[in-house]
Amino acid sequence: MQIPIERFTLGNGLRVVLSEDHSNPVVAVNLWYDVGSRNERPGRTGLAHLFEHMMFKGSQHVGEPGHIAHVERVGGSLNASTWLDRTTYYDTVPADRLELALWLESDRMGFFLPALSREKLDTEREVVKNERRQRVDNQPYGDWDERLQALLYPPDHPYHHPVIGSMADLEAMGLEDVRDFFRTFYAPNNAVLTLCGDFEPAGARELVERWFGPIPRGPGLPPLPGRPVLDPLRLGAEARGVVEGGVPLPRVYVAWRIPPYGAPEYYAADVLSELLAGGKSSRLYRDLVRERRLARSVGAFVLPVVTGASALIVRGSVPPAGDAAALEAAVLAEVERIAAGGPDAAELERALTGLEARHVFELQKVDERADQLSMLATYFDDPGLINTELDRYRAVTAAAVQRLAREYLGDDNRVVLTYLPGAAAAEEA
Amino acid sequence: MSAVPALDRTRVPAPGPLRPFRFPAVERRTLSNGLEVLAAEVRGFPVVTFDLVMDGGGVAEPSAQGGVASLAAGLLESGAGERGAAEIAEAVDGLGLALDSGVSWDTAQAGFTSLRSRADAGFAILADLVRRPTFPQDEVDRLRDERLAALTQRRATPAALADEVAVRSIFAPGTPFSRLLGGVAGTVAGLDRERVAAFHAARYRPRGAALVAAGDVSMDEAAALAERFLGDWTGAAAAVAAPDVRPRFDRATIVIADRPGAVQSEIRVGHVGIERTAPDFFAVTVMNAILGGVFSSRLNRTLRERLGYTYGASSSFASRRQPGTFTAHAAVQTEVTAHAVAEMLREIRELREVQVGEVELTDVRTFLAGVFPLGLQTTDGVASRLVTLFTFGLPDDYYAHHRDRILSVTAAEVQDAARRRLWPDRAAIVVAGDAEKVRGPLEDLGLGPVEILDPATLG
Repeated sequence: MQIPIERFTLGNGLRVVLSEDHSNPVVAVNLWYDVGSRNERPGRTGLAHLFEHMMFKGSQHVGEPGHIAHVERVGGSLNASTWLDRTTYYDTVPADRLELALWLESDRMGFFLPALSREKLDTEREVVKNERRQRVDNQPYGDWDERLQALLYPPDHPYHHPVIGSMADLEAMGLEDVRDFFRTFYAPNNAVLTLCGDFEPAGARELVERWFGPIPRGPGLPPLPGRPVLDPLRLGAEARGVVEGGVPLPRVYVAWRIPPYGAPEYYAADVLSELLAGGKSSRLYRDLVRERRLARSVGAFVLPVVTGASALIVRGSVPPAGDAAALEAAVLAEVERIAAGGPDAAELERALTGLEARHVFELQKVDERADQLSMLATYFDDPGLINTELDRYRAVTAAAVQRLAREYLGDDNRVVLTYLPGAAAAEEA
Repeated sequence: MSAVPALDRTRVPAPGPLRPFRFPAVERRTLSNGLEVLAAEVRGFPVVTFDLVMDGGGVAEPSAQGGVASLAAGLLESGAGERGAAEIAEAVDGLGLALDSGVSWDTAQAGFTSLRSRADAGFAILADLVRRPTFPQDEVDRLRDERLAALTQRRATPAALADEVAVRSIFAPGTPFSRLLGGVAGTVAGLDRERVAAFHAARYRPRGAALVAAGDVSMDEAAALAERFLGDWTGAAAAVAAPDVRPRFDRATIVIADRPGAVQSEIRVGHVGIERTAPDFFAVTVMNAILGGVFSSRLNRTLRERLGYTYGASSSFASRRQPGTFTAHAAVQTEVTAHAVAEMLREIRELREVQVGEVELTDVRTFLAGVFPLGLQTTDGVASRLVTLFTFGLPDDYYAHHRDRILSVTAAEVQDAARRRLWPDRAAIVVAGDAEKVRGPLEDLGLGPVEILDPATLG
């Protein structure tokens, strides 16, 4: 199974990836801008994400009924997301409406500013504040990721602060911040456009050139704020956080800094996360959930981030009769066993089998394929990795997993975040 | 150079030639033991999904055993045939199966997605799980305790709390749909190995059940696997009486699930909905999409785009063999709760009172027709449509006409559906939020009585 790939770069620097597939009459249009919360200055946390919202509020030639309605009314679906390293906009439309999606995306890439207004910003600011309330402030454990980020990365590292931003910073955001952000980061030379689905490549290329070609190249990018390179990578000591109250049952997160996405150690860490908590035959599920019942559920994953350092994160939910400290100790003991003896051949093979199978399942969808192609082009300038990245996983040996655990998963490079039910919850029990 | 017209960005690009879409052909066979096989070939990726659908959903539960269907389905992987939980897990993960089992109100389902090369081995495991589960005592205890913990967890999660209080407020007390599908603490705590095994023995039977197969597999291949691993499976699940779906309220009633200090209110406006086979299903689908089924819906335009009260507002009908629920939902900042409720009810009333305009109607119909193929790119997406065909007794060519049926819904039919299926004057209006702050403004709306509920007292 081979995903076809064609690439070219427009005169203005826009990198384009085409991947043809005629099995369904749909086409995914996916744009990655190489900007995320890591690019935000102090006092303006949340700007990248708020900006992403503003991109749906119209551009010079796209007025009523607006970007979203234009896509929905032709039978398409769309959304966007902002993360540490990137901002993604995606539309999946019926194949005959490809040009509509290109019109919409090119207009907001090239002609966003004339449609911007204070009224739009003020309404959208309220929407984003409500997004924060819904996802973070009114949600048990809802701030786990921002707390982990704050513990894992020093205050001057671009990953220290949350993507959604603080309420105070959101409140302080002005029109000029939005304008500056657009002028600085939203330019064809800072983006990757991927089309995946039912189109003829020659025709699609012509359309892309037509709509995106005239957009002028943007200025050079400013350096990332703060200190993006962590040297040494290890924290040097354990960092701990405890949150009391507001949750019904305890929960434990253990995280370690690891090399960023793309490094060989990252793939070893991803394999390790799989054999720790990927399936029900994984070590932590078998031992902590099924056998000893120290956890209700477990999870483990690595952050696919490229600036400075990634993290391997293990999560365990504590059952009513359980104990957060005992669960933490059990997780650490399992990691120590890996460091001491490495994984056995059978569990390593199971982990790789699971990763491979899920990779194929996910690629069935054109939007998922397009997103991966954009990501690989943005991060590594190599969308072809979609066909070969599994080889990097296959190259991970038991010794490599053991070495990763020894070098990076020690107590001098660890963050532990614990949620405990507070006094109020205890009274109810 | 050819004469390319100058680029005019002010004009919406015209559509290209429309490309046809066809739902994959559905084939159906019945084995001698009564098991139906439904298959749809989808080639392209070497992936296949199998799903066994049995008459073992929530409505088949004895009334005091709410949650037994879900617990039984969850325990299939805990031991089957000669294998224990650990061995099953190693076999499943060793094959890279995405194995899933669970229940709806109408059915129990167990199935997997796998690479085609592992499908036969996966099927052997699936057959074992469904036919020969052993329900080990320690696993029954573990999973039951886990379900009880999950119920505790739900109560502390505003959206889940609002959902739970909504069904309790929509359906009359004691009726099946008035509680969570997975059961409530009072019934789950009483479940044991005997009850789980009895439920399985009674409901997991081939007559009245189906195997659905979708992906890189033919009907002949699917039927051969079914014969080989399920051919000597016998029995039929007894017919189940249709559940009582009486509503709880005969007038609009506000129920506040108190969460002191909450910065947002989770709002649900709901009432009894429709059955999946209702004659106006497509009109209701279009009507709901206009109200709250798409991003550009009326609820979202009003509450998010105009007022900025919420990250998103939407509505949905959960249709079952019997009428399920209608709910409109939004999480809004505490201060605007009452106004948000008033706006939601206003939008619901307007759909009943004013006929939808042609542009809005056309947009929504085109949206629904256009996104239909998006859900069919994966083998499990196609399999889930086959499950729907079987569960609701729909004809094999049902999805072949799906888009045409959506596209032919008229404005009059939408209004008719709204008048018949939306009941703002009998709605349960549930707010999970800070009662002290929202009670007064909600009372001032004059919609109906206001009840305050302490989530800790929910049974």
